[in-house]
Amino acid sequence: MNYPYGKAPLAILIIAILSGIWLFIVELRSRSERADLIFAVFAKEHAEAYRKPIREFEIENNVRVQLQLVDQRALQSRLQASLQVGAEVPDVVELLDGTMGLFTNGPLEDVGLLDLTDRLRAEGLDQKIVSSRFGKWSSRGRIFAVPHDIHPVALAYRRDIVEQLGIDVSKLTTWEEFARVGREVVRADTNNDGVIDRYMIDLPADGGEALRLLLLQQDIDLFDADGRVVFDQETVAQTILWYVRQFQGPDAIAYPAGWGQTLSQSMNDGLVLFYIAPDWRTKSIESNTPALAGRMGLMPLPAWTEGGRRTSSWGGTGLAIPKSSRNPDLAWKLMQKLYFNDEDLGRRFRDSNILPPVRSAWSLPEFGQPSSYWGGQSIGKLLVELAEQVPQEHSHPYQRQAIAQLNSAFGRAMLYHRRSGEDGLIEYIREELKVSADRVRAIVGRNRFLNLGESGKSEHHKEAAERSGPQSKNDPASTEILPVLEVR
Amino acid sequence: MNLEPRPPGLQETARSPHASSRALARSSAGASARPYAASAPYLFLLPYFIVTAVFFLYPLGYATVLAFFQTSGPVRRTFVGLENFSYVLNDPDFYKALWNTLLFAVASLFLQLPLSLGLALLLNARQDRLKGFFRLAIFSPNLVGQVFVGILFAMLFTPQYGLFNKLVFALFNTGLQERWLGDPALVMPAVIIASLWLYVGFNMIYFLAALQNIDQSLLEAARIDGAGAWQRFLNVTLPGIAPVATFVVVTSTIGSFQLFELPYTLLRQGYGPNNSGLTIVGYLYQFAFDGADLGTAAAVGWILTLLILGVSLIQIRLSGTTRKDR
Repeated sequence: MNYPYGKAPLAILIIAILSGIWLFIVELRSRSERADLIFAVFAKEHAEAYRKPIREFEIENNVRVQLQLVDQRALQSRLQASLQVGAEVPDVVELLDGTMGLFTNGPLEDVGLLDLTDRLRAEGLDQKIVSSRFGKWSSRGRIFAVPHDIHPVALAYRRDIVEQLGIDVSKLTTWEEFARVGREVVRADTNNDGVIDRYMIDLPADGGEALRLLLLQQDIDLFDADGRVVFDQETVAQTILWYVRQFQGPDAIAYPAGWGQTLSQSMNDGLVLFYIAPDWRTKSIESNTPALAGRMGLMPLPAWTEGGRRTSSWGGTGLAIPKSSRNPDLAWKLMQKLYFNDEDLGRRFRDSNILPPVRSAWSLPEFGQPSSYWGGQSIGKLLVELAEQVPQEHSHPYQRQAIAQLNSAFGRAMLYHRRSGEDGLIEYIREELKVSADRVRAIVGRNRFLNLGESGKSEHHKEAAERSGPQSKNDPASTEILPVLEVR
Repeated sequence: MNLEPRPPGLQETARSPHASSRALARSSAGASARPYAASAPYLFLLPYFIVTAVFFLYPLGYATVLAFFQTSGPVRRTFVGLENFSYVLNDPDFYKALWNTLLFAVASLFLQLPLSLGLALLLNARQDRLKGFFRLAIFSPNLVGQVFVGILFAMLFTPQYGLFNKLVFALFNTGLQERWLGDPALVMPAVIIASLWLYVGFNMIYFLAALQNIDQSLLEAARIDGAGAWQRFLNVTLPGIAPVATFVVVTSTIGSFQLFELPYTLLRQGYGPNNSGLTIVGYLYQFAFDGADLGTAAAVGWILTLLILGVSLIQIRLSGTTRKDR
């Protein structure tokens, strides 16, 4: 064959044409073979638990459902981008707690997820679920995802060592008492090498989710129900002060055991005795530290005041249906099968230890069965008791930024404590909390698309204006709201 | 008699009428092929130009426009003038990110590159069989990329159990429970240590190639003239590798300003306590993907571009590699 530019360009051209044809055929084939519903989840445990009910659903409805297990970060960013540009998305999708804001930081009509409020109300499903759980999946009064769980938080502990030390966990009813026992009984250098090798509790060094759940336990969220930033209050300052004291200085009882292998190692070694354990974490503990079977226990969180709330909440998953779902009614039906069928919920709890938010399921036998891993304790029973006390949470488009700012204030408090000790610490914490909260207000206030009220100014702009004052340099309320330009 | 040579065409015409028609046919075929041949290079370059236009020039132009708008994802926007720039330049987090990035860039210049050069000199001086092995071993961390190194070092820096902490404890009898990734003061040093492992070998390869290109007769002459090792390094080796060194310094600095994946994965998809691991690209990422505010992200991108451009120009000017007398 005579090709004027030589053999190499010819070979490249042939390869390009062949691969183009191949890709075209693959695409055509995948379109023709596409399932009736594509369901994307990020948690392996959820995927495992759904396989059986999905098979039943397929037979009952004569449809094909494709379950896709996708890394959480990839799922979230791809879904976010695809929804924004109108690209192909799964028909049903599970979202991670804290990511709802990524989809709701514009006008309500721009939210790429189906508004499920009316469907839930019409079928009375909103009454079946613990109502406080809808908060984290809602925006401006509309519900965009159905909660999968309730995630009450307890404390997992090394029962054998705790008993050996003579600690009666039933008396650890307040954080004050807990810290005292930690200081006086637990903290120790057991092998005399100059390094403390037994701590009372695992807490993250940067505050992380632990700080937030300790605040939730006291009914303090980052934003209130109206979306106002509320974390610059005295209780938050006092909680940070408590946290810093448990972490640094001569009385420190907390240690950051980390995640994964190092967490399991510290449990096995007894480096830390108590671990914050929402329901989902109890299953990871069972899987990752099988050698501790029968040597672990689960107890309610100590309260902040005698008789106070003994739990909090950490994490969550919600099921959403994108607006561009090819079959939203079928997707809704699948959601009902997976989230509201008592039989499946009992099985799901047995497999995952995750408590569903559907109250009617809690009386199923699976929730009362004793667990050999937890020394014969019925952790389902304890979790159900705690579930009734789980605090209300509020979703907000800027939740991530608020958590980051709260943790920044905490980080600065840690640095101050290390540098200057207790002198002026609480005043410093109050100041830094105010700085952090004002920064979140400024960030929220800049968003001209969020919640435009009748006056033409965002509700969040108004709040920022009230808090910062009209003369504030970054006062977004004083700027003109320009008409929104549609470039779709 | 006319002795002037005839043009070739005329000679053929005179020889035979058939030869004339063949020449004509060749000539007309050449005329039709010529424009095709002339456009061939452009046709071959077309895919490159299309890709550059679609994935570089258009985004670049669009980012310039976006920087003056506030956006809510890619579908809504409103003109805000210079507000995005003003917000960023008044935001303490930007200066935190800038400080962290500069710290990393300085560490790259004054720790990473001297180490790379030192290793290259060491490998260049030795003539043993293990030279190839060491070159591969030192370079190999670069094959795995920043994400892998981030995850790996997150484990190495674990208090109590991490290998790095155990090594420090074995050497100095302290630091076993040091929270490298949990202590704001230690986060950037941890990032720098991880980056040393990642990049020292990569830059070493450049230096090694430059060292191998130095004219050995110059070194020999300097040795005969009585120059010591240090003098030979300063007066022969260093000028010999100067262009490559400038390239390495500029690309390392640009790379340092683009730092993102390493701290992001090292700090478990975050920015560390008190944003102690936040870099400028991380700051940009927050706006673009956590806040869907592409306008402010574009403004940060332009500020970053100008910073890189300024620093690179200063470096090139200081190194003198653009002087005409070189």
